[in-house]
Amino acid sequence: MNEFENRLIDIAKGMDYPPTPDIARFVSTRLRPAKSPRLMSRKLVWSLTILLILLSSLLLIPPARAAILEIIKIGIVRIFPQPIIPTAEPIQTIKPSTATPISSMPFLETIAGKTTLEDAQNQVSFPILLPTYPADIGEPDYVFVQNADGNMTILVWLDPQNPQAVLLSLHFVPPGSWAIEKVAPTVIEETTVNGVRAIWAVGPYPLRFTNGNLEFTRIINGNVLIWADDTLTYRLETDMSLEEALKIAESLEP
Amino acid sequence: MTKDHLSGEARLDEITLIRQAVNGDAASWEPLMLSHQQAVFRFAYLILGDPDEAEDVAQETFLRAWNHLNRFDSSRPLRPWLLSIASNLASNRRRSAGRHLAALTRAFRDEPGEAEIEERSAERIESDSLWQAVKNLDLADQQIIYLRYFLELPVEETAQVLSVAEGTVKSRLSRALEKLRKVIQQDFPLLVEGRNA
Repeated sequence: MNEFENRLIDIAKGMDYPPTPDIARFVSTRLRPAKSPRLMSRKLVWSLTILLILLSSLLLIPPARAAILEIIKIGIVRIFPQPIIPTAEPIQTIKPSTATPISSMPFLETIAGKTTLEDAQNQVSFPILLPTYPADIGEPDYVFVQNADGNMTILVWLDPQNPQAVLLSLHFVPPGSWAIEKVAPTVIEETTVNGVRAIWAVGPYPLRFTNGNLEFTRIINGNVLIWADDTLTYRLETDMSLEEALKIAESLEP
Repeated sequence: MTKDHLSGEARLDEITLIRQAVNGDAASWEPLMLSHQQAVFRFAYLILGDPDEAEDVAQETFLRAWNHLNRFDSSRPLRPWLLSIASNLASNRRRSAGRHLAALTRAFRDEPGEAEIEERSAERIESDSLWQAVKNLDLADQQIIYLRYFLELPVEETAQVLSVAEGTVKSRLSRALEKLRKVIQQDFPLLVEGRNA
């Protein structure tokens, strides 16, 4: 090893790594209930999990609540009102989302897929709708087009009172994209957006992204309004109230 | 530098634990994870630059490894195989939309916290500069440098992680180092001069 290599090793020893999380414990928790995990396909695991949840609902939940406490599917979003065993253990704790996300701006700047509204519209086959409520909302501050097995478009508005914070984000998710799964939100409320069934979910809850091969989980503390039409799933995430979110959703226009 | 980070006795223990895990004993998998979780997490962190994402990748690495343990040759060290899985997952993550979504959702949940006014040591500043310099290279060059100089894997294990011959590791390293040297000279001259300059 030459002098340069030795110097690299010497410098690299000073790396300030974050503390290593207790990964072994988390993974062990996931493995424990499965006696022969290597023989079970992911589909089978899912089937059993879903079956377990349905049985729990039937056996343990008062009939009046049973209608809402079933697996809810809207577009590509699936909501599991009850924690999924054994994956429901939160990976990490979070702080209230109402606080100012001072680090949002630099982070948003570094996200891949950043583009202009005009370019985004050229990339996707569906019309990108914009809210006309509130009247002064204007065009989004950030536009992203991401290939998630389909060109997902995400619009982000920053809070004019606090430009470091995100006011709302609006996701347009085409069919075939990654599935988005929510597990045991604090509140799930059925509502409608322009007469179409919609779900209002309030965090904190684990949000899982999966394409069948890769899966990961985040804890979300925001409120989300989800609805779908024949071609797209819409996901509006904000700290605003349901009433305000509905007004925004219903104001979308080409 | 040792050829293998485990002593002979520890290596025997590892082989025993792997064989028990292959037979479905999840309890045997836990000490193996504890032995290697730091290397896997740090490698993912170096590639992704985000501790949350690195944690996701590390978890997925151990779950995948468990699910495919029957394909693993237990006569070989476990660490390169785990790092190889982590490498693939982290590389995919860099390209994935999920990364974007996760990043975006963080914008809602984060709060400023206390200002980061911690005075960093000269060593940390220097190592962070080196990391920034390495990030200027393409991903393949980054990975080989992380493995060899940040995680200090021997050439043999580096070759196993990358599924190439040891000679290939040496030639790739040589080219990657040459590129890194240029980046440092151009953009991080203080690294060349050293911390006492």
